[in-house]
Amino acid sequence: MMLNMVQALNQAMHREMERDPRVVVLGEDVAVDGGVFRLTEGLLEKFGPERVIDTPLAESTLVGASIGMAVAGLRPIAEIQFMGFIYLALNQIISHAARLRNRSRGRFTVPLVIRAPYGAGVRALEHHSESTEALFCQIPGLKVVVPSTPYDAMGLLLASIRDDDPVIFLEPTKLYRAGRQEVPDELYEVPLGKAKTVREGEGVTIVAWGAMIPGAQKAAEMVEKDGLFPEIIDLRTLAPLDRETVLESVKRTGRLLVVHEAPKTCGLGAEIAAFVAEKAIFQLKAPILRITGQDITVPLAKGEDYYYPSPERVAAGIKKIMES
Amino acid sequence: MIGKFDPLKGERFQVLAENGQANPEREPKLPGPELQKIYSLMATTRAADLKALKLQRQGRIGTFAPSLGHEACQVGSAFAIQAKDWVFPYFRDLGTYVTLGLPLKNYFLYWMGNEEGMHIPAGLNIFTITVPVGSHLPHAVGCAMAMKSRKEAAAVVAYFGDGATSEGDFSEALNFAGVFQTPNVFICFNNQYAISTPVRRQTAAKTIAQKAIAFGFDGIVVDGNDVLAMYAVTKEALEKARAGGAPTLIEAFTYRMGNHTTSDDASRYRTEAEVGEWAKRDPLERFKLYLKTKNLWDESFESRVQKEADAWINKAIAEAEDTPPPSPEDLYIYTYKEMPPDLSEQLSELRESLKAGQR
Amino acid sequence: MAKQFKFPDVGEGITEGEIVRWLVKEGDEVKEDQTLAEVETDKAVVEMPSPYQGTILRIHTREKDIIKVGQVLVTIGEKGELVVDGAEEAKTAEKPAPATGPSVVGIVPESREEIREVLATPKVRKLALELRVDLKSVRGTGPQGRITEEDVRAAKAAAAAPEEKKLAFKVKEKFDFYGELERIPLRGVRRATAKRMHQSVSTAAHVTHFDEADVTELVKIRDSLKTQAGEKGVKLTYLPFIVKALLAAIKDHPLLNATLNDEDEEIIVKKYYNFGIAVDVPDGLIVPVVKGVDQKSIFDLAGEIQTVAEAAKKRSLDLADLKGGTFSITNVGGIGGEAATPIINYPEVAILATLKIKDRVRVKNGEVKAIRTLPLCLSFDHRVIDGAEAARFMNDLVAKLEDADFLGRAAAGKE
Repeated sequence: MMLNMVQALNQAMHREMERDPRVVVLGEDVAVDGGVFRLTEGLLEKFGPERVIDTPLAESTLVGASIGMAVAGLRPIAEIQFMGFIYLALNQIISHAARLRNRSRGRFTVPLVIRAPYGAGVRALEHHSESTEALFCQIPGLKVVVPSTPYDAMGLLLASIRDDDPVIFLEPTKLYRAGRQEVPDELYEVPLGKAKTVREGEGVTIVAWGAMIPGAQKAAEMVEKDGLFPEIIDLRTLAPLDRETVLESVKRTGRLLVVHEAPKTCGLGAEIAAFVAEKAIFQLKAPILRITGQDITVPLAKGEDYYYPSPERVAAGIKKIMES
Repeated sequence: MIGKFDPLKGERFQVLAENGQANPEREPKLPGPELQKIYSLMATTRAADLKALKLQRQGRIGTFAPSLGHEACQVGSAFAIQAKDWVFPYFRDLGTYVTLGLPLKNYFLYWMGNEEGMHIPAGLNIFTITVPVGSHLPHAVGCAMAMKSRKEAAAVVAYFGDGATSEGDFSEALNFAGVFQTPNVFICFNNQYAISTPVRRQTAAKTIAQKAIAFGFDGIVVDGNDVLAMYAVTKEALEKARAGGAPTLIEAFTYRMGNHTTSDDASRYRTEAEVGEWAKRDPLERFKLYLKTKNLWDESFESRVQKEADAWINKAIAEAEDTPPPSPEDLYIYTYKEMPPDLSEQLSELRESLKAGQR
Repeated sequence: MAKQFKFPDVGEGITEGEIVRWLVKEGDEVKEDQTLAEVETDKAVVEMPSPYQGTILRIHTREKDIIKVGQVLVTIGEKGELVVDGAEEAKTAEKPAPATGPSVVGIVPESREEIREVLATPKVRKLALELRVDLKSVRGTGPQGRITEEDVRAAKAAAAAPEEKKLAFKVKEKFDFYGELERIPLRGVRRATAKRMHQSVSTAAHVTHFDEADVTELVKIRDSLKTQAGEKGVKLTYLPFIVKALLAAIKDHPLLNATLNDEDEEIIVKKYYNFGIAVDVPDGLIVPVVKGVDQKSIFDLAGEIQTVAEAAKKRSLDLADLKGGTFSITNVGGIGGEAATPIINYPEVAILATLKIKDRVRVKNGEVKAIRTLPLCLSFDHRVIDGAEAARFMNDLVAKLEDADFLGRAAAGKE
């Protein structure tokens, strides 16, 4: 059936909650209201208030309690209303969820998924356009996943729920309803830790994720008439990184362009540039280029366009790296 | 009043009955012109809020949080605040701003998505709108601690909703306030909902005011649709704070007549019957009835108030819409006091890419 | 300075509307916030307030036009200013407001376009460029749907077939072989009704069960309450009683208050009771929903039914008033008729039609008598409800309508 990302994620939760009675959903406004973006629509009616829980307004304890539930044998999906509010739960995530398996030498584990709408481009209020995924990529013990299509969204969410480690599942708000895709009727998984080549090319490898993928594809279309055919890799999982796929591609094309909407300094692009430089410096024909958000607070609506890496900027980046 | 109305016994402070009749023992001693000023502020708040809704329908303002129904708790409490006091709002405070004198243009600018709106004019001791719920409460306490150490006879008011009381910051901040006996007045607008979460699912406590007891100070529940009750209690709490006394938690019991924000659809989680019940307790209507008993309201007064409000509001909208959007420099120069070299470089790159038309 | 006013996004993911009525004409002076036009979206009519003060320089759409979000409705400026079609200030150049989905903040763009992966090697892409073939329209036959060189060449060959020159406009004849015609465009409520009726009939398995209630007691009780109703300022019809009787019957037969979710193949029983009351308006049928009928008294219901019916006729209903229904009632009897086969209000599973209350000759206890009866016709979806269940439900409904004690309790607010 043809679904947009919201529907695909919603369906994923419906199907998995049906298959596995240990899966529960909790968050603010997720039950009665079906979630402020309607991601959890219909779950309360189907599975009841024991498994679909409206919590008080308390992110730290929402995550903290999820950790407790996970330790006690449930598989919680905790929804944080916007990534901008996940900071309240950082202590629970970093001090506990990420390291409980290590602290207890495997006796206690945390099969938890924390979902949050993420990223800019929707003219939102302060704190509703965050993309600080790099923070979580730096924490040992956490997995970080960002889908860019409805098919990947459902498959990755199913895989994340079944994964026995804590997963931070970031959903690009801009892509929530940006088109529909054919999605299988039966259960399937998209494996974590595997990137996908969404466009075969030559001359330059673009590495991107989330809302930057459609942007990169638009940019690639824009430069075709100049005879340029970039290869595009959608990382899909940011931690653990699929370094192999990236290295194989860059060794073949000879150039690397990383695109992310997060601010430049210490963004994930820095890590990608570093390991490519370490492992493939002799195959590089040009300096690595990063087209990213800037090192400023994400502006409110009136200034958002200045900040956001548009397809035009990515296209300019492609031309620049091909000329250098 | 504070300390004499026990929230644990379900006692709630009210001055004006729903029919506008005032309890003579509790009626604050305000001269006629002051009472009329309060009404004017409430009516202006209502008009500005409805106008903002229209602007949102026209695409001229982004999502915002309406204040319909909160005119009494916002204006009544703010009317007691003095210029030397500090105020930490949350995000549903239009009446408070109108009363304290924040230019309405700033309010519109912010919701239009321009940070310039939160460039609070010097001399106004009002903090910025805070989006992460309840996270400004520790700020309000710290500010109060500083003022106390400087022996300033001023108070620090913090506004927040019922939802905020579930956040850890609420407990930690109020705990500090109790330990350090800070000159804080905590005002909670319990409007019964935090988006779709009704207050009985936010806390099992029967009132929010009683939570103060756990932190060692007084809490009081006030009829939030009674502007004189809000004024009287806030005034007392402020005087107590300025005189070096303990903090107070005031719970304004009211109702969110509109949606959480203009993107919310409250009919999904509450009934028309409930909204209709609260519509009968309209704060403006009640105060109007009271003013009538004092011969302070008539049709010509009403039409004058509405005319002045409309003119004032339209002027603010024009000013906001004439304000240019932020420039690339504006986005950069407020990150640090002095721009580090790599940020300068990024700003140059941004200017280059704009010149090349890459938006 | 001439400014354009575009049809904004008025919420609920609405992407288009129809101009019902222009309240101003070109040359008129308008004030800010003055209502310019009434636009109908789905079944609610929305007033468009003017964002600017000035003179209406040009009205760009006519009544009955269908408009999309972002389309220019009107240009307002100073008298005598020139209006250049399509001209826009470079500074305020805007993309048309995108359709948006629900969210608490922000504008989440909504698109129904298909996302398809276009797998093609650079060589194939170069070829497509040369041959001017749009890869998005080509289905790949290679591994994993990859587009091959052959696919591109085949697409080019197919496109090369000469196309008939399409006419830019459609000719609408005023007559055919047999005689004159009148053409009535399908618009507004009529259009929406047509769509909904078709959808309902083509999904549900419609069966109608006919029955009749002896309303001697019902008539008595209603007459006895006429004064009380008058004091409360409401017009008390039989409808509130029928609602209460339905409610009682539905509680014993919950499947009647449900929806069939085809996609997931499940029946969703609603544990709340929102009844739609069909209202006849000039160009069709509107079904406003009275919510929580179990929490309202007979007089509450009477008042609310009156209010929504008036609002429906005046077309001043909110979108919210049309949503959330679990069961519908249509009263044709006011006009006349002995029986009907109503169409279910999709996605509900049942609808009750009430026909004319009048004296009819019946046999009671072996005697031939004239009895006041009310014909009842229940259409139900046989995918969810069987004939036997429907019959039992109707028996219960009839029993309640004939039960003086029940009616008395309902009148006293105890049901």
